[in-house]
Amino acid sequence: MSITDNELAAFADGELPPAEAARIEAAVAVSPELAAKLAGHRALKARLAGHFTPVLEQDVPDRLAALLRPSPPVIDLAAARADRANRSRLPRWSWIAGPALAASLLIAVFVPGDRDSPAGYADGQLAALLDRQVVADQNPQSATRVLLSFRRQDGDYCRAYAAADTSGIACRDDQGWALVEQGAGLSASQSEYEQAGSSMAQLLERAQEMAVGGALDAQGEQAARERGWHD
Amino acid sequence: MAGQPFNPRRTGKDPYLTPTFEQQALEFLPKLRRFAAGLAGHPADGDDLCQMTIERALANRDKWQVGTRLDSWMYRIMRNLWIDEQRARNRRSRTFVSDEAGLLVGIDGGQEARVELGNVDRALAVLPPEQREAVVLVMVEGFSYREAAEIVGCPVGTLNSRLVRGRDALLAILEPRA
Repeated sequence: MSITDNELAAFADGELPPAEAARIEAAVAVSPELAAKLAGHRALKARLAGHFTPVLEQDVPDRLAALLRPSPPVIDLAAARADRANRSRLPRWSWIAGPALAASLLIAVFVPGDRDSPAGYADGQLAALLDRQVVADQNPQSATRVLLSFRRQDGDYCRAYAAADTSGIACRDDQGWALVEQGAGLSASQSEYEQAGSSMAQLLERAQEMAVGGALDAQGEQAARERGWHD
Repeated sequence: MAGQPFNPRRTGKDPYLTPTFEQQALEFLPKLRRFAAGLAGHPADGDDLCQMTIERALANRDKWQVGTRLDSWMYRIMRNLWIDEQRARNRRSRTFVSDEAGLLVGIDGGQEARVELGNVDRALAVLPPEQREAVVLVMVEGFSYREAAEIVGCPVGTLNSRLVRGRDALLAILEPRA
């Protein structure tokens, strides 16, 4: 019963099924020649692996890690406000929500709600919409529209939405769609259009800040919906 | 909105249970660097390769299928970048080394092999790129033959024969008593 070099190497790599491995083991036990060959294979593997182990123990150079790290959160709220005010009123993401917003020229003035109370959860109708509706096949005339979807830092799926009387960002957790941001709706008198536009811009800007890795495309949304907006 | 600080609701869920693309990649970045060093042969070249790989992965993140192994996907990107460069280099220098040549080095005890005796880096440098990546994936990174073949994008049999040739050449150079 001969053992090929190939089989011996595969044995050393742990690639053989148990029955085969047992056969090699038995052959090695009675053949000093095979035992020496096997020892050679193992020594080579240990030497190669050992040669590169120090790389694992080194600190990763910052230029590499920085590519994967989200920019650090702004701690200074005053600075954050100033920074936000200085930036363009229309964030980059407005083009994504554009189709959903285009049907409505009338957008309400933004009235900040009571921020001291804990954020609630979307009610049945809104929750059902958030569960079901993907942006791609949405009727742009529908009363409540999903503007875009994304994932935030902790991995939760979030969706920005707008209706006639309300708008906001809801994030899916174990209990439902938590309303983490809320703003004014789409309907208001025309004179307030400009302010309302900036409110919608703020909503999108907020979404952009919260998101890790961009808005979901149609495929991403469908996949997320199939999983119930939960991994 | 309206400049209010944002206070994300915590629901007791550990955010690391569903790590993001970036979090996952950061997690195995040390291993990715090791693979880069194994391929490139020099730590600085390895880190350049690593950087190109991360940038390529981020630019193509929508092509990664959620639920599949991100590390294997990024190994594949790295491997493709490296092998393309090796092939371009070989074309430029017109010193294409066939798979067989890698086997012959060491066995015929050529001067090259003797000079490089005892040095893992130099021994690996003797191998043709396809043998080198097979050796590094299996013997350094610890992938199974099947996983390594998937990363390389070749049949398991092909991966196996490259591995055998590369290993035999290294044995002859580095472990001559075996």
